Amino acid sequence: MKPIDPRLIARIGPARRYVIVTAVLGFLTASTILFQALLVSRMLAPVLAPTALTEDGLGPLGRLVPLGARELAQGLPLLALVVLTRVFAVWVQERLAHRAGTQVVSELREAVVQHATGMGPRWIASGKGTEVVTTVTRGLDGLLPYFVRYLPQLMLASTVTPLMLVVVLGLDWPSAVIVMLTLPLVPIFMILVGLVSRDRSRRHLDAMEQLGARTLDLIAGVPTLRALGRERGPSARVRELGTASKKATMASLRVAFLSGFVLELLTTLSVAIVAVTLGFRLVDGDVSIETALAVLILAPEVYLPLRNVGTHFHASADGMAAADAAFAILEQPLPVVGTPGGLVTDFAGVTLRLTNVSVSTPDGARNAPAALSLTAAPGRLTVLRGPNGEGKSTALLALAGLLGPDEGAVTASAGGVEIALSVADADAWTRQCAWVPQRPELGPEGRELSLGQRQLKAYERALNSGRPVLLFDEPTAHLDGQARSRLVGRMVSLARAGATVVAATHDPLLIDAADAVVDVRAMAVRSAP
Amino acid sequence: MTAHVRLAPVPADASLRRLDVRGLLRDAEVRPGRVVLSIAAGTMALGSAVGLAAVAAWLIARAAGMPSPADLALAAVTVRFFGIARGLFRYLERLVSHETALSGVVALRTRTYEGVASSGASRVLGLRRGDIVARMGGDIDAMGDAVVRSLIPLGVAGTVSVISIAITAAYLPVAGAALAACLVAAATLSGAMTWRSARTAAQAGTAAAARVSTATLEAIDGAAEHRVWGTTQDAAEELRAADRDAQDAAELAARPAAWAAAALQAAQGAALVLALWLAVSAARHAGLPPTDTAVVALLPLAAFEAVNAVPAAIQQAFRSAAAARRVQTMVGDGESTPHLSGDASNDGARAAASTTPAPASASLRLEGLSAAWPGMLPTLPVTATIAPGGALGIVGRSGIGKTTLLLTIAGALPPSRGQALLGDTPVGAHTIGRAIAMTPEDAHLFGTTVLENLRVADGTVTRDQARDALEAVQLGAWLDSLPDGLDTPLGSGGNTVSGGERRRLLLARALLSPAPIHLIDEPAEHLDADGVDALRSLVAAMRAQGRSVVIVTHDLGILDVVDRVVTLDEH
Repeated sequence: MKPIDPRLIARIGPARRYVIVTAVLGFLTASTILFQALLVSRMLAPVLAPTALTEDGLGPLGRLVPLGARELAQGLPLLALVVLTRVFAVWVQERLAHRAGTQVVSELREAVVQHATGMGPRWIASGKGTEVVTTVTRGLDGLLPYFVRYLPQLMLASTVTPLMLVVVLGLDWPSAVIVMLTLPLVPIFMILVGLVSRDRSRRHLDAMEQLGARTLDLIAGVPTLRALGRERGPSARVRELGTASKKATMASLRVAFLSGFVLELLTTLSVAIVAVTLGFRLVDGDVSIETALAVLILAPEVYLPLRNVGTHFHASADGMAAADAAFAILEQPLPVVGTPGGLVTDFAGVTLRLTNVSVSTPDGARNAPAALSLTAAPGRLTVLRGPNGEGKSTALLALAGLLGPDEGAVTASAGGVEIALSVADADAWTRQCAWVPQRPELGPEGRELSLGQRQLKAYERALNSGRPVLLFDEPTAHLDGQARSRLVGRMVSLARAGATVVAATHDPLLIDAADAVVDVRAMAVRSAP
Repeated sequence: MTAHVRLAPVPADASLRRLDVRGLLRDAEVRPGRVVLSIAAGTMALGSAVGLAAVAAWLIARAAGMPSPADLALAAVTVRFFGIARGLFRYLERLVSHETALSGVVALRTRTYEGVASSGASRVLGLRRGDIVARMGGDIDAMGDAVVRSLIPLGVAGTVSVISIAITAAYLPVAGAALAACLVAAATLSGAMTWRSARTAAQAGTAAAARVSTATLEAIDGAAEHRVWGTTQDAAEELRAADRDAQDAAELAARPAAWAAAALQAAQGAALVLALWLAVSAARHAGLPPTDTAVVALLPLAAFEAVNAVPAAIQQAFRSAAAARRVQTMVGDGESTPHLSGDASNDGARAAASTTPAPASASLRLEGLSAAWPGMLPTLPVTATIAPGGALGIVGRSGIGKTTLLLTIAGALPPSRGQALLGDTPVGAHTIGRAIAMTPEDAHLFGTTVLENLRVADGTVTRDQARDALEAVQLGAWLDSLPDGLDTPLGSGGNTVSGGERRRLLLARALLSPAPIHLIDEPAEHLDADGVDALRSLVAAMRAQGRSVVIVTHDLGILDVVDRVVTLDEH
């Protein structure tokens, strides 16, 4: 996995700005750490040295901090200023991180939702819709730890660590050599440990997942067991499975924690070696006390961001996976129905025609409908009939201009003009059709209503819309006897008044009232030789 | 059935519900010794960092006086020891703390399972499967995380701070006091700010997140209708508005979180400035030796690492507490299940039921029985008598309350009006699962073998009985097609069987249940011909055993399967 998803930087404005600002803040933080170390060693050195200090012990870097800072009266205010700057940098970083994180999530969510709504009704109905909702709500929220915790540490690791290394090199090159020799060991050992433990932890992971699935299976069945009066037995089994799962988990953790162990061991031990070496070189007079103190304070700071990146890596992995899923949706091509900006015609008194229309199912195994031809004339109630899954709803979608067929043609002729959906403006086409699906959506307030009530409301809207084409999917399915005959009656009277009315149904009442009945059939696609 | 049986919604103040912490600790079987051991190991790990800083400061200060190298030998060894000890003890701490947490999770899950299984029948049967899995899975794991990510880091922050203060105070008491003040300020300020942030996120954030979810769902599910009615922009605007809500809520929560981070940094900076001032002044004017001065002045640089873990620990505590509340709400009301172990009266009733089995030949009488969840419209009253060997069909459209009525007949819910009598006694919690068994619409197939799935009804079922039951519901050919016959495992949740096979397996299970009366909740989809045949065979087989059946469905196709049909639809 890449540390920063380039698509995030390229396509989401707040993400790009945030990365730049965080890098600047990283440099600011690095500078405060440097000045803090130099100031502390300036103030502390005179009381540690056996004789009065005469020359600048910090070498060329001493120019950054005046010699006068050896006196508390001058040094302490400077140190306080540095501390305040660092507090400020931390505060700004935190504020920005949360804000940028939520903005990125919002922007990405809006983009994905907008894209998904353009993917067409069949894509949404195939279960992808629910997946999208999960991805853009709970999934993308996982991006916050990535922005708030992981990315800043990554930036610090790429600013503070190299800067401190250069500073230590300027102060005291032998210490810098120790750091430079140990620093590459961190990734090398992490990779080695990772390689050794990968197979083992995968085996443990599999075992854990299996045990977890079996426990959840047992738990999911509680109501069933209760209904049969057999709920008492499995509790011992729950404990047994849990204990086995715990053993597997611990076995995998023993290995997984090794990489953390190596990281901590290498970084702390390196600091210890630097300190001990400095001590012995002080005795020999190879290094000044001021430099020794500054290096002692700076050495842990070289390693700290690396350690933190390791700590926050896993927390951010979920968010990165969600971002990946979001971009996978965004990268799917949008289906184009009709010709945007194409022909427009008035549908008053329109005859809609399907000629040999086939639409392949999402798995490509069947055409539903297959080679369907029908004519829906104005003034008539046309009914589509056939078992579930044969393509009645899909035929309605094609008539409504919501879906382009894979084969065949959808045409509309009114006032002596005939246009095909493929060259028409699909939006203008759709806006003249009052289409009502099986489970109508009425916005947030509609969610409070029962399916039957929602349906009545949706039909109220469609029947009163005054649109010349009415396309209804199983209009009477959830209605009781009285409401059913009332709805059928209104459909018939609207047809008599000149509307083009098409309904998909199983209901004998509606089939009896129809002027024309069309049987809809699916067919298996013959595999190409 | 779209109107799924549901518990009354969780009250809005569920997040403020008092946690029974003592009960939780008992249920988690937390061994204090393990927690102490974890904290000790964590203290050694972070204490090593403090020790390393202190001894290294001492070493440098001593070396500045240019003594003989031998004088530095011990300090050099100690510094290296701390360099190794930190990683080692951290590894140990992580192992012990995770072991403790995982044991707690196992114990909690077992106790919660027992609690759920033995809590009121109406409660269990009303739970949705997804809810149970979420509560018993992720939520109990989150409760375990409280040990690893909250309890132990907070303990370590305390002990390591005390060690740092003690070292400093030993050399210069006033500096020790200053360090103590800064550490306490860091912990309390950052802790309080984080707590506020978490609270805000839980309150404003949850509502905003719900609005975002709804708007997202509505924009995607209603995409085609929005195009038809030209409301695509409205839906997008609603999502943007919901998103602005979410951003405002996040902003409210982020403010105290940023102050928490700033407070930590400020306290650490203040500690450094104070320590440097006090130590150098003492060295200049009170003759504090150089080594002591170095230790006192430099220790604040290492002393704050443990306290820096406070915000994350507080956040985890908040998350774990929320998870614990959800679990306790699922298991039951505080007073009836103080420690998830089920209530005695229920056990007593069950014991009585098992010692005096219900009369096998009792008939079930429904007298003007009408059912309702609190706050819902009651169903039309039903009056019927089902003699042993009888079969009653109850039909009605979706959402009319068929499942609710079935739960009431089983004794899981008190009737809204009228009564259900078994012989001469009203049904109740003691009848469900004993005299009256039930196959809910979403009854569970376990991820085990076909045979074990049938033995769920009765542990004593033999292979021959199992085969007969499967043949009775026309699954004989299906059984023969399985690679290992009765020993073929089904996928978790019964995913490897088709919908029709699943229903018929559940009917075979119902046939094997010893209860004299069986209630069957048929799913909403129209029954296919095989399904109706299987129901017919089931009724015939039960009748032969002198057992009775009640079937609820909205499919009129079962009319010829039962003796009598009552309808819940008006007119």
